[in-house]
Amino acid sequence: MAEIDAAISVKGVCKDFDGFEVLRDIDLDIAPGTTTCILGPSGSGKSTLLRCLNWLEEPSKGSVFIHGKPIGRIGTAATARPMARRELATARTSIAMVFQHFALWPHLTVLGNVVEAPVHVLRRPRREAEAEGRAILSRVGLAEKADAYPHTLSGGQKQRVAISRALAMRPKVILFDEPTSALDPEMVGEVLSVIHELAKEGLTMVIVTHEMRFARDVADTIVFMEGGCIREVAPPQAFFTDPQSERAKRFLTRH
Amino acid sequence: MTWPAIRTILDGAVVTAMLAAVSILLSLPLGLLLALLRWRRVPVLAGALAAFVSLVRATPFITLVLFVFFILPSAGIQLDPVPAAILALTINTAAFSSEIWRAALQTFSRDQREAAAAFGLSERQIFTRIVFPQIWRANLGPLISEVTILLKCTPAVAVIGVVEITRAAGRVGAETYEPLPPFLVATLIYTALIATLVRGQRVVERRIARRYGVTR
Ligand SMILES: Nc1ncnc2c1ncn2[C@@H]1O[C@H](COP(=O)(O)OP(=O)(O)O)[C@@H](O)[C@H]1O
Ligand SMILES: [Mg+2]
Repeated sequence: MAEIDAAISVKGVCKDFDGFEVLRDIDLDIAPGTTTCILGPSGSGKSTLLRCLNWLEEPSKGSVFIHGKPIGRIGTAATARPMARRELATARTSIAMVFQHFALWPHLTVLGNVVEAPVHVLRRPRREAEAEGRAILSRVGLAEKADAYPHTLSGGQKQRVAISRALAMRPKVILFDEPTSALDPEMVGEVLSVIHELAKEGLTMVIVTHEMRFARDVADTIVFMEGGCIREVAPPQAFFTDPQSERAKRFLTRH
Repeated sequence: MTWPAIRTILDGAVVTAMLAAVSILLSLPLGLLLALLRWRRVPVLAGALAAFVSLVRATPFITLVLFVFFILPSAGIQLDPVPAAILALTINTAAFSSEIWRAALQTFSRDQREAAAAFGLSERQIFTRIVFPQIWRANLGPLISEVTILLKCTPAVAVIGVVEITRAAGRVGAETYEPLPPFLVATLIYTALIATLVRGQRVVERRIARRYGVTR
């Protein structure tokens, strides 16, 4: 797949934290409209890779393209320059993110959280953004919580607000970092089913998860990481029934 | 006490309240600015400001007042007693409150900040829309304590001739040879001023709690 056609294209991304290598020369292309699940043991660099996609983490080497446009750094190795903060902020508006611990803004209502970036970053009229925000909230079953504050919600509800906040940006890509890991078991289902619905709608989604059954059901592509490398990229059927690498086999027997 | 005596003390109270109000309005934002500049780690500036804050914090307030009034003129900054008093109070409270702001900035949720950055908010928007609205609320208690300390520092400006409550009460006491009544009145006024502040703090805190639950 040419990098122009890919929704997300990762080229030779390396990342170290003070000399400790966390990502080693990652190459990955993600087709538009697909759902990719990143699996792998903890500490294998899944979150770091995801965070490199919107430049929350700055790769020490390599580049990332979103629909053909570079993010974070412009130009190739020799002539690369960092993007201006403003350019980076603009580039980020097409990539939304859902965090493990929700990261809602507690001083804003649910609706306030949802419309914050559309109004103040995308400069949409508040009225319009709020109407759309309420529509999104009712889709995830939270219409009646629009005016509540986050502290009054359960974990599952908080994560659905976080997903609504992401959708309100009308992003091209949504990144999920273990969206259900911080939830009580009885709330995992409600969040996964919302994500499952989105997968049918042609959004490009990249999901780091430990929910194997969910990954199998929802993913178009499984990316298996281990030790800072991508060890396997395969359709779920192939990955779960016939993993190619020893490491993936071992990982699957433990989960 | 006679009416003119009470008038003298009330005039002093007006001076105290004015000094305190102006210094509060100047020092809290200035403290925040100091904290932001230090937090941003602007190379030389951050170090210089850190040293300045430590120095001011270590200096007895009365010494600071004397410095502003008697030493600054030799650097070409000549101030009347009241502006000098305001400057000293402002520097002092800015230094102390900057430590509160700095701690608040340092401990502010990294998750929330990252979420804001990931959604394309600019540095400035992250501060004005996400961080500041939360840290002032969470630190209302400590900030109000700083303000009550400021109020209790005000009698020190009498050394440069500003007639505030305590000085006024002292004068009345000296003239009438009865120091107790004027000092009781003075104490009453201080208590009323501080009670007003604390009351205001409670009201705001209760409203915050009702809306957002825990503030921290
Ligand atoms: N900010 C950081 N500073 C230092 N080390 C980090 C940092 N973030 C992650 N790491 C390390 O990088 C490795 C990969 O982390 P991460 O990407 O979070 O793995 P995963 O999400 O697969 O569990 C881990 O060893 C982790 O300790
Ligand atoms: Mg992780």
